[in-house]
Formats: sequence, structure tokens, C-alpha cells
Amino acid sequence: MTEPNSDCLQYFVTGTSEEEPRSSSDADGSREQPFTSLRQALEALGTDTSRTPSSDGNRGGPTVMLTCIARAGASPPPNGTPSHQYFVDPFTPARGKGTEQAPWDSFEVAYAKLTDLARSQQLALRVGDRLEICCREVFTATALEKWKNIKEAIAKYVFLTMALTCFLPVVVILTFLLVKAWPALSVDFLVTNPQNNLTAGGIWAPLIGTFFLVLTSLLVAAPIGILAGVYLNEYASDNWITRIINLAVMNLAGVPSIVHALFGVGAFVHFAYMGRSLLAAACTVAVMTLPVIITSTREALAAVPMSFREACWNMGATRWQTIRTIVLPNSIAGILTGVILQVARAAGETAPILFTGAVLYVPIADAGWEYMVPYGPNDRFMALSYHLFALSTQIRGISDELLYGTAVVLIGLVLLVNSFAIGLRIFLRSRKKW
Amino acid sequence: MPEADANREPSPPRPWSMLRTFHVAVDWCEPLVEWIIRICGWSAILFVFAIFFFVFREGSEMLLGGLDLKEFFTSPNWRPDSVVRPQYGILALLAGTISVTGLAMLIAVPLGLGAAVYVAEFAGPRSKETLKVVIELLAAIPSVVWGFIGYMVLGPIIIWATGAPVGINVLNGGIILALMSVPIIVSVSEDALRAVPDSYREAALALGASRWEIVSRVLFPAAKNGLLAAVLLGVGRAIGETMAVLMATGHAVQIPHSLLDPVRTLTATIAAELGETVSGEEHYGVLFVIGIVLFAIAFVVNLTADLVVKGIRGEKHD
Repeated sequence: MTEPNSDCLQYFVTGTSEEEPRSSSDADGSREQPFTSLRQALEALGTDTSRTPSSDGNRGGPTVMLTCIARAGASPPPNGTPSHQYFVDPFTPARGKGTEQAPWDSFEVAYAKLTDLARSQQLALRVGDRLEICCREVFTATALEKWKNIKEAIAKYVFLTMALTCFLPVVVILTFLLVKAWPALSVDFLVTNPQNNLTAGGIWAPLIGTFFLVLTSLLVAAPIGILAGVYLNEYASDNWITRIINLAVMNLAGVPSIVHALFGVGAFVHFAYMGRSLLAAACTVAVMTLPVIITSTREALAAVPMSFREACWNMGATRWQTIRTIVLPNSIAGILTGVILQVARAAGETAPILFTGAVLYVPIADAGWEYMVPYGPNDRFMALSYHLFALSTQIRGISDELLYGTAVVLIGLVLLVNSFAIGLRIFLRSRKKW
Repeated sequence: MPEADANREPSPPRPWSMLRTFHVAVDWCEPLVEWIIRICGWSAILFVFAIFFFVFREGSEMLLGGLDLKEFFTSPNWRPDSVVRPQYGILALLAGTISVTGLAMLIAVPLGLGAAVYVAEFAGPRSKETLKVVIELLAAIPSVVWGFIGYMVLGPIIIWATGAPVGINVLNGGIILALMSVPIIVSVSEDALRAVPDSYREAALALGASRWEIVSRVLFPAAKNGLLAAVLLGVGRAIGETMAVLMATGHAVQIPHSLLDPVRTLTATIAAELGETVSGEEHYGVLFVIGIVLFAIAFVVNLTADLVVKGIRGEKHD
């Protein structure tokens, strides 16, 4: 309100003296006859209703300005930001503090409150100060807008509830599993072999079986998957064959796991004469998890800026040299993330190993070399995921701790490996150089 | 300057490195390397064909002869072990798959889309990151664990809540499958919502739209293809899921009449019975024919999802 207009009522005050006003008749607040104190000014304005601008919806309009000058007739200081600013807005609830966020609801209230302040010496004007009481100049909600805001709030909380409904039950269930499994969980549980028809002991044999399964499938899937990712991102041009490859990758990820199992039985167990073995199961799992590696490798490679490659080509390097010296070193961590995700996926898969090599029980040694490497590539093996399935559906008379313990170890393993991959990705993103 | 050259210390000879020799060798036979990469790139196609070929190979004997296809698709009688006359009708199994998947989608699609909208549009940056990590972790939980949860945790709860005689039934399988397919629906539809250009949001904001109006009037229509693809992928995941439904839906081969009837799905049938059969016999072959049916369903679902997504890309160029 620096520009005085018709709605702007200007009054003047001299000094801050608290002596009794000389007489209220000759002080009308004009420059020649200013009020002698802030208190007097406010009281005068408060009692005389003709000096109160109407605040009936003329938003941003009327303003009351009190300027403190040295003596009567002195020229006012140049217009600037007022030192004290109070706001009035008739459309707000009555309780306000005079601030822009919580304005008073009328000028009468403003005068009364300010008079109180001036009386208790909390508000004083020095020469050159200016006090302004103005109508709040903001857009406030109309009825339509308020209704819109309510709808938006409802929408937000409905969506939040939906999101929580998706996730909270799972968190509750996982906590429940952990609580049930707690008595069984110990290092002994991990490193002891199952005993007594699987109803006692630990889970070492299936655990190490899963380890070898994952390792073997990784050895098969990682090279093929990474090179496929390299092909798709670095070599493939945008033509129909690339489109078919993308479709194939998507399909490979979308084919039901049990169909992968049938494929494993047909191709590896029977056709390739592997029999039901660790190798057959690992190959099946490898084919199944290939899309995970391909997709993440592609993403990692695509994150390397094109200018890096162009710079390298300009130095006379061939396409492969560029990939080997520039692209791969710059994306190795991203590729690693994909590989770790593949590990987590492979560790949890059950259907593909059901008929390709996993069995209910394999007696393995309790110590020594045979304990650490119990399964050869042609042996049938125990795996943690299949073990959990068998324990819960085929074995009777098993203690809850053992059952829940097995489940929790499997979940823990998968989630741990996954969190590692996610953590790695977040770390990489945070220190990305380009 | 010859003096300067003379004063400079000769750089030490590079140590012979096996890796370096390997690299030189690899560079030398670059065409070979390129061909290896190319073959690996095509391997995905190869594997998809191999899957079809080998599943078809084992099932072809039954599919091309032996199996009465009309009975296969229309008879609800699945009696593979009958000595007198084995019957292979998958209608009841199909009904099982459809009922469980349908229920799962009824639960998962609204929840998943709602969660995706919250994550994409309403959540603050911090809770957004947290939720996305949680979604990713949920997607990683192995299906056998979901089956275990259905069998050991949800089953007793359902018996307690509804008084049903068995806790493993359509309802159980549906809830478990819903929880399983929510992460994929959320992440794909969140991607779809994020792919809507910000200028759309800004234009709507400039017209005075509230956030809810932006979501319902602008984002949903603009991202509908992506959302549809998300639903399709969720359906694909639910139809193909094996271990969870094997453990959570019970083993009764029947057309369900209520939510509390136990059913058997196509996938669970293969998983439950393949172990009892011997390569070459009829039952074994029929299970592979079911595999072909599943492969075909998955292929159609994925192809449709792909075409739908490509549809979005096409629109964007306009």
C-alpha cells in the first residue's frame, strides 16, 4: 500500500510521548494537527466510526496508515515498507493475531487490539515509523474452492489408505512370521543338517543347495544376459528384429514359472540327457532369470552418456574397444545390481526346480569337504525354497519354529540380497558424475 | 630440444600383463566378439522358441492324436488316474484359474492403481522413495513364501472369520495373488503416470484444477494405455503363478460355486501331478498340453500389453 489512494486514510502522530493528550478536539490526525501519541490516535480512531473504513468485502482496498513525524507540520518520511503491518480480513474466523496468516476480522477489532498493545507499552512508534492496517490482499477460498479442497483432501487420504492397504498387511504378516520363528533362529539352525525325517535339526543342506543352484545359474545367465544387454543397447538398431527381441525378453519374463519348469524337463532333463540334476535345475532357473539381467544391463548401459562413446570413437577406437574401455567400466556397478537382483530371484524360485533336480531329502555329511560341497553338477539336491514347500505341505508333525524359521531364513535371504542391490543403486545414483 | 629429452628419465617398461595380452587378443578378433554378442542378443528369441518347441515336443503326441480337444476344453471332469477311462477335461481347472485370478484382480487393480496414484502424485519426495523401495522389496518375496503365508497364516484366519471348513480356497488364493500382483501393478502404472508430460499437469493447474481433478480428468485419460498394460501384466502374473496357488487354493478339482470353495488351477495341476507321471505316458503328455495352453495365454497377454504400451508411444509423437 505504498500508493495512497482514495481508500487510504492517512493520519499522523508526533513522538511516542505518553503524556496526556492536550485535547482531542484540536487533534484530528492531519499533518498540521497530529495526534500526540499512538494511544490517543488509536482511541480516537476506534471511537469515531466515520473514520473507520468499511471492510465489507472490498478486498485489498481500504488501508489505515499512521505515520510518526517529529513535530506538527513536518513532512512525512518517504513511502517505504511500513515498520508495523497489521491485516484485516472480514472473511476469516474472528480469532486472529493481526498477521497476514491470521488477520483480524474488522477494523474495530484491530483498533481495540492495537490500543491494548499501545497501553501496555508493547507497541510504540519512533519518528519515521509507519503503522499500517490494511485489508488482506490475498485470494481466499470461495465455497466452490473449499469444496474442491475438501475433495482433494479426501482423494489424498483415500489413495493413502489404498497404498497402505497394499503394504501394511504384508509388513504385519512378515513381523508375525519373524515372531513365530524367533525361537528357532540361531547360527546352529543355519549350519545343522536336517535330521529325523526333516522334523528336527537345521537347514544347512537346503541352504547350501540353494547357494550352489544360484551360483551355477549365475554362471550360465550372467554372461549371456550381460552380452545380450550390450547387444540391445550398443549394437541393435531400431528395427523389427530388435522389436522382436524386446518382445521375447518381455515374454521370457512373463511366461509362467511352471512352463519354464516344463521347458526344463523337456530340454535339459530329457533332451540334453542331464537327468534331474543341479545342472538341469540351474539352467532352467538361468533361462527364467535372464530377463532380469538383460533389463538391468540395458538400463546401466543406457545411463552412460552418448558423448563418452563419441569421444572414444573420435580417438579411432572401434565399437568393441569403446564398449570394453569406456562403456562397461562406467556401467559395471549398474550391471552388478542386475546380477544381484538375479541372485535374489533365483534363490526364491521353486516351480522351475520342482521337477528338474530338487528333491525332498539328500543325506549329506555333517563335516569336512563333503559338508561344504555336498552336491556335484549331476546330483539331485535340496533347495531352501523347495524345502519350505515340502515342509509345509508334505511333512507331518513338524514344529512351528522349524517351519517358520525356514520361511524367515528364505525371506530374509532374498530381502537382504535385494536390499543390497537397492542400496548399491541408491549409492551409485548419489555419486553419479554426469 | 635434445638436452631436455636426454635429461628426461626413461619411463619404466610396462610390466607384462596377462590381462593386457588378453585385451589385445580380444581386440584383434573383434568380429568374433561381435558375433558372440549378437548371438547372445538373439538368445532371448531363441529361448522363447526353445520353450515353445520343447513344451510342444513333449505334448505333441497327445495334442495331435490321442487327446479329444473338444472334451479337453469343455469337460469339467479331470480324472487322469482313472483305470477304466481317464478323462482330461480342463474346464474345472480353467474355472479355478479364472475365479482366483478374477478375485485377485478385483482386489489388486483398484488398490494398485490407487497406490500408484498416491506414490506418483500425492506423496512427498521422501515417502515416495520409501514406498518405491518397499514395493520393490515386496515384489521380491518368493512365491513359495506367499504360498506358505496363505497356507499357514491366512488359512486359519479365513476359517476363524467365515467358519468355512477349509481355509485354503478361492478367497485365500485370491487375496494372496492380489498381494503378489499389487507390486507389479503399482510399479508399471506409476511409470505410466510419470510418463505423462508435466506440461499436461501445468496446463490443468493453470485452469484451476485441483490435484484430484488433475488425476481423474487429465492423468487417467492420458495414461490409460499404460494403466491397462499394468493391469494386463498383473493378470499375467496372477494366471502364471504356481507355488502360491498350489499351496493356498486347496486341491479340489471343481467349478467353484462360492468364494469358500477350494479349487485347483491350471498351473497348480501341473505342479502337483507332473511328479507322479512318467515321461511318455498320456497323463504326462496332457500336462504338457496344459503347459502349451498356459504359454499361449501368457504370450497373448504379454503381446497385448506390449502393443498397448507401444500405442502410448505412438500417441506421444503426435
